[in-house]
Order: sequence, then C-alpha cells, then structure tokens
Amino acid sequence: MAPAKAPTRATARWRGVPKYVFLSIVALLSIGPLYFMVVSATNTTQDVLASSMLPGTNLLANWQSLTEFQDVGSAMYHSIINAVVTTVLALVVCSIAGYGFEVYHSPNKDRLMWVLMLAMMIPFAATMIPLFQLFADAGLINSTWAVVLPAIATPLLILLFRQSARSFPHEIIEAARLDGLKEVAIFFRMFVPTMKPTYAAAAVITFMTAWNNFLWPKVILVNPDYQTMPMLISNFTGGYVVDYGALMLAVLITSLPTIIIFFVLQRSFVAGFTGVVK
Amino acid sequence: MTPVALEKRPSRDKRKGGAKRELSPAARRRSLTGWAFLIPAAALIGLMMFWPMFQALLLSFQTGRGSALDWADPLTFNYSRMLEDDIFRLTLTNTLLYLVIQVPIMLISALVLANILNNPKLRWKGFWRTAIFVPAAISLVSYSLVFRTIFATDGLVNDALLGIGLIDGPINWLGETDTARLVIILGLLWRWTGFNVIFYLAALQNIDPTTLEAAKMDGAGPIRTFFSVTIPQMKPMILLTVIMSTNGTIQMFDESYNLTRGGPANTTMTMSHYLFDVSFQNNPNFGYGAALSYVILIIVAVLAAIQMKVGDKRD
Amino acid sequence: MTKFRSGVVMAAAATLAFSLTACSSSDDTTEGSGGDSSAAAAGDNTLTVWAWDPAFNIYAMEEAEKVYQEEHPDFTLDIQEVTWEDLQPRLTTLAQSQEFDELPDIFLMQNNAFQKNAINYPDLFTDITDSPIALDEFPEGVVAYSTVDGANYGVPFDSGTAVSALRTDILEEAGYTVDDFTDISWDEYIEKGKDVLAKTGKPMLSGIAGEPDTILMMLQSAGQSLFDDEGNPTITDNAALSSAIDLYSQMVESGIYLEVNSWDEYIGSLVNGNVAGTINGIWISGSLQTAEDQAGNWAMTNLPMIEGVDGATHYSANGGSSWAISSNANVELAEDFLASTFAGSTELYDTILPSAGAVANWLPAGDSDVYAEPQEFYGGQPVYADVISFGAEVPANNTGAYYYEARDAVGVAITQIMGGTDAASALGEAQSTVEFAMN
Repeated sequence: MAPAKAPTRATARWRGVPKYVFLSIVALLSIGPLYFMVVSATNTTQDVLASSMLPGTNLLANWQSLTEFQDVGSAMYHSIINAVVTTVLALVVCSIAGYGFEVYHSPNKDRLMWVLMLAMMIPFAATMIPLFQLFADAGLINSTWAVVLPAIATPLLILLFRQSARSFPHEIIEAARLDGLKEVAIFFRMFVPTMKPTYAAAAVITFMTAWNNFLWPKVILVNPDYQTMPMLISNFTGGYVVDYGALMLAVLITSLPTIIIFFVLQRSFVAGFTGVVK
Repeated sequence: MTPVALEKRPSRDKRKGGAKRELSPAARRRSLTGWAFLIPAAALIGLMMFWPMFQALLLSFQTGRGSALDWADPLTFNYSRMLEDDIFRLTLTNTLLYLVIQVPIMLISALVLANILNNPKLRWKGFWRTAIFVPAAISLVSYSLVFRTIFATDGLVNDALLGIGLIDGPINWLGETDTARLVIILGLLWRWTGFNVIFYLAALQNIDPTTLEAAKMDGAGPIRTFFSVTIPQMKPMILLTVIMSTNGTIQMFDESYNLTRGGPANTTMTMSHYLFDVSFQNNPNFGYGAALSYVILIIVAVLAAIQMKVGDKRD
Repeated sequence: MTKFRSGVVMAAAATLAFSLTACSSSDDTTEGSGGDSSAAAAGDNTLTVWAWDPAFNIYAMEEAEKVYQEEHPDFTLDIQEVTWEDLQPRLTTLAQSQEFDELPDIFLMQNNAFQKNAINYPDLFTDITDSPIALDEFPEGVVAYSTVDGANYGVPFDSGTAVSALRTDILEEAGYTVDDFTDISWDEYIEKGKDVLAKTGKPMLSGIAGEPDTILMMLQSAGQSLFDDEGNPTITDNAALSSAIDLYSQMVESGIYLEVNSWDEYIGSLVNGNVAGTINGIWISGSLQTAEDQAGNWAMTNLPMIEGVDGATHYSANGGSSWAISSNANVELAEDFLASTFAGSTELYDTILPSAGAVANWLPAGDSDVYAEPQEFYGGQPVYADVISFGAEVPANNTGAYYYEARDAVGVAITQIMGGTDAASALGEAQSTVEFAMN
C-alpha cells in the first residue's frame, strides 16, 4: 500500500489486471442471475429445475401457460398506468415544491422543509393500516388514486429538486422577472428545460419505485382485476403446481419496463444526481 | 454542489434578509406564489404520512381482533405485550442482523466499485457500468423469485458448487437458518449495490479535481488519496445512502415474503413481514400491528438521528 | 397562453392535493379497465367467484357452471384466481374497511380457516342455515368447520380425507405389496420404510420442512388436535402430539421422510419418482395424476396408526375447503346455484371426480357408480370408493379461530426439534406463542 511514485509501464499494466479480474467477477455475479432468468423463460420447468443455462424452445408454451390463467395484459396495463401517473405527478409536485423551497425561501418555508424531511424517517409499515382505512373511508379502494397518491410527494425528490434549484443561477430568474415573466412561467420555461438531467434521475427513481411497489398495492388493490405485475408473479408461486418456465417469463416481462427506462435514461441519471447544470 | 443538505441551509445566504423585513407588494405576491408551490407536496406528505402516523398512534392503544376494536386497558397494553412476544424479538433480531451485516458490506463495495468505474482510463467502462447497474432495475419481487429458484436444493447454485467440487452434497440453502439468512443478504447485496454505485458515481463527479491533483503532488498513493481526499468530499452522499439503506432494510418486506416466506421457523422473517402477518394473515390484530409499526418508526428515527449526528461530527 | 397554462397547472396541483376528498365519490368506479367484477355491478345472471386452483377447485366451478347452465342458459360465472395466501389478507382488508361491495358472490375458504373468519368477521358471510341448501347431506364433522354458534356459513366442497398413497412398483422392488402397508402401525411403517430405503434408495414419503401437515394428520387420526374442547391450546402435555413428533423425528433421522423446502419441491418429489409414496388429503390425487408416466403404479391405503395412544385410528384428514356465500352476493341466485350443483348434482361430482380427483363431501355423490369404478392410474383400484369409506371413519377434532397460529407455532417447534432443540422446551415455547396470540 506504499505510495507508488511514477510506476513503470510494466508495473502499471500489471497493476491493472486485478482490477479487471475483480470487475469481471462482479459483472458475472451481477449478470448471472439475469442471464438465468432470461434463459429460463425459454425453458421448460424441468430444464429450469435442472439449471439449464442454454436457451430452450419453450418460450411460446410458457407464454401460453402464463396467459391461460393470468391476465398479463391487464396486470401490465395497471402497472404501467400506476407507474406513469405516479411518475408524472411526482415530478410536477416535487419539482415545483423543491423549486419553491429554494427560490422563495423564507424562515417559515425552511422550517416546513425541515418538517417534511422528517417524513423520510416514517416507515411505510407504520402508516399502512391507517392509510388503508383512510382510503377505505374515502371509497378509493381498488382505484389508481389509492396507489398513486401516497407515492407522489416524497421528501427525497423534494430534496433533490431543491438542491438542483440551488445550483440554478438566480440571475436568470431576476432577468426573467424584469422581462415581465410570471413566476409560474419562469419555472416552466426556464427551470424545467435546464434541469432535464435532474428530471431524468427523478423519473427513473420514481418510476422504478412505483413499478416495484408491492406491499401497498397488495393491500389496497383487493379486486383481482386490478392486480399489478409484481402481485401477479408473487401469486404465481401460490398455486399447487408451479410452472417455472412460465414464472421466469413473467419475471422477465415484469423486469423489462424498468430495464428499458433505466437504459434509456442511464446517462442523465448519473448526471441528474450530480446536480450539475450544463 | 452535492444534492444533500439535511442540515440547516447556510446562513450566509444573501437573499435571506431582504425578503423578511419590508415586503413590497411584488415580494408578498412572490412569497404567496412560493407557498402555492409548496402546498401540494406539503399537503400530500401531511395527509399521506403524518396523518396516518398519528392515527397509528391512536390505533396502537387499542386492542381486539378484527373490527371489534376497543381502547386497551392499560393504554400501553400492546407495547408491554410486545416485550413477551418471542416472534417479534426474533424478527427484530433478524432485521437488525441484515442491517448490521448487509449495509456496511454493500456501501463499502459500492464505494470501491464507484471509484474503479470513475477512473477515466478504465477500459470497457460502459459495459462494466451496465453490468453493475442492471440489478437495480429488477423488481424486488422478480429478483426474490429468481433467487428462490437458483437457491433451491436442486437449483443453479448447488449445481454450480457441486460441479466445481466445492461441496459434496447439495446445501439446503433456504431450509437452514444461517444459509437462509445468507441468501437474503446475498440477494440484498445483489439488488442494491449497483443502486448505491450510481449515487457514489454522481458524488465522485462533484469532487474538485484540483484536490486530487494536489494529493498526487503531495505524493499520496491512490488508496491514501481515496481515504483522505475522496471520502471526506463524498460524506453527504454517504450519509444519504446510509440513511436510505438503513430505512430500506428496517422496512424490508418483499424479500422476506417472497424469497424465504420468513422461514425456516420465522428465522428470516422481517419486522414488516410480521406486521403484515399480524394485521392481515392471522387473526387480525390491528392495534398490536400499529404498536409494532411504532417500534419500527422509533428504530428508524433513532438510527437516522445517530447517523446524522455521527455524520455531522466528523466535519 | 402562459397565463392559461399556469392557471391550469395550479388548479391541477390544488385538485391533486385535495383529490382524496374531492374525487372519492365519483372517480373510484371508473378507474382502471375491467372494474365490473363486483357482484353489484354484474348482471343478474352472473356470479363472481374467488377460488385458487385452476386444476382443481376452479375447474370444479367451471363444470358446475356448465351443469347449472343446462337449466339456466343465461347464467355465467366470473371465476377469478386468487391464491389462498392472497385471499385471506383480502378478506381481512375488506372486512376491516367494511368494503363489502368488493366481495365476490362466492369464495372458497380453507376449512381450517373458516372458524377464524366467521368469528372475527361474520359480516363477510351470508348465513345459509335456512337456505334451500341441504346441509344435512354432508358429514356432520365437515359442516362443523363452517358452523359458528349454530349458524352455517359454508357448503363443503372437497374432502380432506387422508390417504397413504404408495408406489407399487417401488414397493415391489423392495419385496413389499400395498397390503404390507395397510392397517399397520407407524412403528411397522418406519421399519418397512427403512427396508425400502435400503433396497431402492427411495424415502417412503416427503413433506415440507416446517409444515406440520404430517404431524397434524397423525394427531387427528387419534381424535386429538392442538386445542381442547374449550378452545385452549394443548401443545404441551399432549401425548398424541409428542408421539407424533417422536415418530416424525425418527422418520426424518432414518432418512425415510424426505424434508423439502416448498410445495413445488414436494410435488416434484412425487411426480419425479423420488419417493415411494406420500400421506396427504385425497386432493393430492390431482397432482399425482399429472405424472402420466407413473399411471398404474400408484395405490392407496389407510394411514398407519399411532400405537399406545387412546382413540388411535387409521383415518385422518388434511385440508379440504368449503364454498361461502358472501354478504355482498346475489343471495338467491348463489344459493340456488350451490343447491343445484355442489349440494345437489351427482352429474357434477361424476365429472370432476375422475378428471380432477375432487372427492365429494356430498354424501349422495358417493352412491354414484363413478365412485365404484376402478381407476387405471391406481392400477385398477376403485380408490374413490375406498376414500369414501375412509372418510366415514375420520375422527372429528376441533380447529377454532387460532388454528393457523397453533399450526405455525407447531411448525416452528418441529423445525427447532429437528435442529436439535429439546422437544419439551420447543413445544413449551409453541404453547406460549399460541397463548400469546390469543391474549
């Protein structure tokens, strides 16, 4: 561990090797289970249980067995609606709040921010039962609202947007005000377009959280017609005989939207969290 | 600028003074606009988090099964009942065990990986990044079921270990307490390490390159530089990830429910899973469930407070 | 334009914040796509049903629909697959929130869970005591599962009569026949099982580790349960239970009982031919028959008996389920439907018996010729007639509201005992766990 000054080219090359070996092992462990999942989606139950690592020809049969008793289309539809509505509303509500806390900050608003941050510590489990009764009283069981409303405003997103608003040049706001732009217009025309990476990062996080949400939808979406993909695959193992090929296909299908969103927005994702304005 | 500042904002902000003293009509309108910007989020958090939390407190003072709830006598009955609850103690131990073992390993691995990935000279960077990030995109239920399958007695992991001769007979991973807990921890590491790498990469990009140059000039090696230059600058982000991971682990449900079903003999069951069983699966005891949830809340709050304190101190 | 847009956004944000109260009455019925499944919204001739096994009870429901359609051509069922693990939380949730509108017309309930639900949430059910459904045509012990304070809430569906199913080909390899395993004691079963294991390498039976099904079947075969007549847990000082646990440990230790981790591994051990038999409710027949390559190699007999315990028999039960009419049902239609199918149609039971192995609880069904038919899968043995005769011998035992808590606690105790904990202290802990849950 001694500080190495000006290593020779040979030692430099040698020093790099363990790093690549390490990365390769990590990558293998990381991708291995996913590869198994993809391959198994094309295999029969027997092949899955025999841990076959080769693609099979059972994809179509798995699809048929999956869709025979499960309404994948409906579950996919509800998952997408829930996740998209949550994401859109969360971005609007939290970014406007984060911006508001920073740009119009006052001691009282700072205090409110502090109180809202406390909510970060509230475990969902602690609010689940009363929240359930709240929605039940409001007659909102089985509704998209019941899934979406608790997920819209999160302290983390507000914090993220407040931080990015902090790096947003104040002069731009002043200049826009002098030009006679309304406050809301400044937000939508100046802030939003500049903060695309932050929005991308927030979108990825919110979409994934919403998509993966399991416990709350399981509690609040009582009618099987409203079930989401995670609920569908969780129930899949509750039957008397499990078709592993079909299960793995369902697991793969459930993962696809988040994987796609993730890859599309991957670059902006890291940039968004750095909070750097380009 | 890092995206984390849980602490009070810097007081040297020059915008601060003017707004408060004399409010011009424009400034007042602006202030109102500001409030209007905050209200939707604040109202939602109030209604969806603080209000239910208050309700849970009331509920935790009630007893009864099903819908026949009544005030407990004494009011703290559910809390004192908890002291005699062996399953609760077990789930608390399990949850803390996951926390103590998994979170440090995960965050240290994530720091190391982020540091390697941040090296501009690294080859095939896109591939490594993708490979490390991709588990973070998999749904919790999905990966739990995949892990359940590959750790079955006749599953992939046993086949692989038998194949390379590391073990003589199949290991009953999910059937033994220690190995079942290990599988949960491995699952959590697999799913969440990459997620934290993303945050650390973001923080690394914020590090002032001149400080690294300066360290190099001073003759510090990469490891020394990492500990004395990089880590201190990443502290706010590390604090955030510690709080997020702690919070997530204490509240963990999906893995316990889908991967091990809490077994064998409840030895992998988490507190949230027990809470779910008490409230919805067994003879429903919502008052006791609410009391359990308050204990979870207090644990999370205390841990977060400690973490922030520790995080502050090393400034 | 800008002004308009900003106005809209602010209005939207404000609406959003208060949408809970604002939208509560109008929006909930229009959310999502297929929202008309609740009974109230469905047509007059449609019943919604929750059941959990496509190959078994859902299939039986579909056949019942066909039977009923003969007389009522407009009738349809909307059957939704809800696993049992999901159905219980759903019922709790709905009852707790008094959201009975979301209940289906009919749902299936595990017999062992019936008391718990009917006691905690009688509002979920329709009392069918005075309905046209002839409950006296079912065995008294089975109707008792769904009876609380003299009120009946369920129509028994499948029988949980326990059988000892055996692979005749494997036994033959070891020099045994089914007769060698009929009317025997557990000690003999273990002794012969060791021999079978030694000669064929196959354990006698398999079961899920931590699931006390086998032990509870042993217990019931002696007329015992985990509760006494007053409903107090009797996990400690229970001679039948300790004998059962002792026998169970002997079987696991000698290797003739293969412990697996999950239901699918259990089914796998049967259909892949890893074990020489199984002991379970007759409903296991449906799963056995998926192994078409084993046709002709299975047989069924009665259970081994616990020696030295009062009231010990060769007969027991595991599982079984009943149909409940919800409080949200089109009661008249649901009652008529059940009375003309599961409580009144020999035709229905004749159909679902051979194809799904659904052995009826409805006594008149047992008189049908179909039950006496030799079953090819079981080497020509008329297994269903045998099962009906077993069923008549099953000793009754009481389950009570805390059956699942007790069952889970015993499961934990067994896991601990298998792991080396002393039986008395593990059972003592289980006893206090159950007492705690009831407190």
